[in-house]
Amino acid sequence: MERRDFFKKVIITPLLTPLFLAAKKRKSGCELYLIDDNPEEFFPLILEELHNYIANYRHSFAFLNSHPHENDLRRILSQRGLTYVQTPIQADLTLSFSALHEKTLPSFTLIREGRIWDIRSRELYSLWREMNKNQRRSSCLTIASFKSRQSHPFSGKYVSVYKEGSKIEMISLEENVTKSYRTRGGKITLRVKDGKAWVPESSCRHKICLHSPSVSFAGERIICVPNHFLLEIKGSRYIDTSIG
Amino acid sequence: MIHPLARKLCILLLASLILLPGCGVKERWHTSTLLAFDTICEINIFCSPSTFKSAQEEVQRVFSEIESLFSPGADDYSSPLVLDLFQRALKVYQDSNGCFDITVAPLSRIWGFFSKSYVVPAPEQIKSVLKLIGMEKIEERNATLILMPGAGLDWGAIAKGFGIDLASKSLVQMGISSGFINAGGDLYCWGNNPNNQSWNIGLKHPRESGFLGVLSISDLGAATTGDYQRYFVKNGIRYHHVFDPRTGYPAQGKQSVTVYGPETLICDALSTALFVSQQPEKILEKYPDYGAIIVDHDGNLSFLGKTYPFNPIE
Repeated sequence: MERRDFFKKVIITPLLTPLFLAAKKRKSGCELYLIDDNPEEFFPLILEELHNYIANYRHSFAFLNSHPHENDLRRILSQRGLTYVQTPIQADLTLSFSALHEKTLPSFTLIREGRIWDIRSRELYSLWREMNKNQRRSSCLTIASFKSRQSHPFSGKYVSVYKEGSKIEMISLEENVTKSYRTRGGKITLRVKDGKAWVPESSCRHKICLHSPSVSFAGERIICVPNHFLLEIKGSRYIDTSIG
Repeated sequence: MIHPLARKLCILLLASLILLPGCGVKERWHTSTLLAFDTICEINIFCSPSTFKSAQEEVQRVFSEIESLFSPGADDYSSPLVLDLFQRALKVYQDSNGCFDITVAPLSRIWGFFSKSYVVPAPEQIKSVLKLIGMEKIEERNATLILMPGAGLDWGAIAKGFGIDLASKSLVQMGISSGFINAGGDLYCWGNNPNNQSWNIGLKHPRESGFLGVLSISDLGAATTGDYQRYFVKNGIRYHHVFDPRTGYPAQGKQSVTVYGPETLICDALSTALFVSQQPEKILEKYPDYGAIIVDHDGNLSFLGKTYPFNPIE
């Protein structure tokens, strides 16, 4: 299939239109829709690829109802660092399964904050091609709902990492990671946790970056001049400057 | 009949008049920082590169002049700018029943805030210094301010706002339609932000890292006075730099006061006055174009006077 079909198929799945409309109206949260009879096969891979878009993707999960391959799915997700919990209310990710009235080709769609996200990427395209390799039609719909953290309109979504003036990486603020970067001035470490980013270690002389408070709102920055390193929080609404 | 050459020339002239204003003067956002008033000052303006250079120089010139006239120890009491700011300060002093007072310099000195050798003075020492406090004790004679021996002026709660007002006025006169000048927390913003909306100003939390909320304003100044900006702790008690001129001790009851309104110098002075006063609403009644966000001793938020969109952070 053509790459442009990928977009069409992934985005437009007429069978799911009522569900999409309902999800779009909610304006918050994040839901991944997957049509595939074997969710244990591709769901963990899609999840891994979408980590930049999805909140809490590596935390706890629960099932709202059962699926014939539920045990396999549980095992694979646990292997990928997610924790299974029995009570859905405690879970960051809940999975529910339902049967479509008619069979269709496998596909997947992400709805976040009330809109369909364009999640095309080389990896997801390859996955989608793989899913459709045998033209195997499926009737199982998996809905993965990610618990939304009530956030402030100015809360950032990502941290953009710049080295030598060029953007080298974007990390979701929902992640829990520590990363070190080799720089012209030595080494600098970035920590992201609980929606905040800060510098816990730096080889620079005056350690101004190290003593900068953590940043979490769109527009906030941490700059390390000796390391030619900049972190900037990105989001939908920006704080232009601060006082106090 | 018009000669064809003359007609061609007319067309060329007309075309050049239409095209010239857009040639090579692309306006864009420019940001720069400079050190003044012992802090980092941020300028963010929308203009052409050449205007930006002039704007930077102008802000630097204004800030240097203000610093030289109003820094601790400056004693030029006859400059027109000093006399002008004295009158503005006197008005806020009167309107606030002395809660804002530029004669607190001897208090700052005995508490060690000038030398940064902090000390809690003896009650008798504070009592004797209080005799020097009060703006009515300053005389203006032959266009010069006359101070009592031992008295001194602390312009710290008004001069930065004054400098920002002068600098931003100059930039507006230079034709800069949008921007802000933020001198370590005192700010004036005008026009729209790069997203063509009001400026979103984060208000720092007085106790935690991060923000108290986001204030959306335009064509206004804003300034904050807080007990966290300059302080020392002795025997578990926090002594900060905002003195109640009537007692000689740091003012009690609030963590921070942010004031916003048309002039940054008034915001600057009022934030101190409201911080010190037990009845801040009475003072603000005299300034109907101004509003305030107050964080009390227990961290509770309240709003006084004129309000603008504010998104508090949970």
